[in-house]
Amino acid sequence: MIRISLLIATSLLAAACGSVAPPPPPTQAKAAESASEVPAKAAPPAPAKPAAPPKSSPAPKAPAKQQPATPPPVAAAPPLDLRTLEQRLKDSDAIGVMTKLSLKNQVDDLVAQFRTYHQGQRPPTLPELRRPFELLLMKVLSLLQDKDAALAHDINASRDAIWGVLADRDKLAKFL
Amino acid sequence: MNRLALAASTALITLAAFAADDPKQRQDLTAVIALQGKPCGEVVSYVAKGDNDFVATCKDGNKYRVFVKDGRVVVEKQ
Repeated sequence: MIRISLLIATSLLAAACGSVAPPPPPTQAKAAESASEVPAKAAPPAPAKPAAPPKSSPAPKAPAKQQPATPPPVAAAPPLDLRTLEQRLKDSDAIGVMTKLSLKNQVDDLVAQFRTYHQGQRPPTLPELRRPFELLLMKVLSLLQDKDAALAHDINASRDAIWGVLADRDKLAKFL
Repeated sequence: MNRLALAASTALITLAAFAADDPKQRQDLTAVIALQGKPCGEVVSYVAKGDNDFVATCKDGNKYRVFVKDGRVVVEKQ
């Protein structure tokens, strides 16, 4: 008797589920619904079976999608080699000859200030040198950004690497 | 008479070459003046006085001599 009533109840619920099931095909909606509604109605055995697959399927899918999304930023934009950067700047048609020479003068002046710092003279302090460094970089970027955007982007990406060389006596000595 | 005309035209052509209005050169001079922090806006014309030696006229009326001395670019107000 109990078995029969259980069968009837199961078939009724299965029929009910069959009519309800088609509308929510999106898995996220199912997951949301199942998360909120199914546990409360989960007592009957029949709906528990169809509700279970959507529950379990979205869960592994979400991390699987997140995993490939994260790696690209890690591999992107390696800092530029400074020698290459220098050569690309020399070769760039975006800046005229006189402008390049003027920029070189200003770079030389800044490097001279860093050498003074590395010789132990104060001022300038390292924080004091950061501002002229940033200013000069902005001048270079503003000259390049319209006509050689790729180089401007690469220089900007190498900002910290350039500062790292200037601020370190041994690294700077290798470039001079 | 022909020789005189030829000489005059040659001189005129030479002068025109020195006062050439190359947009790239104008931009270069504009950038140099701006890099030195001098007011200019934009170079509207220039006269080449020699190798890497120019007198640039700015949009705001300022005039600068831009030249290279001992490997340094110098911008002098005229």
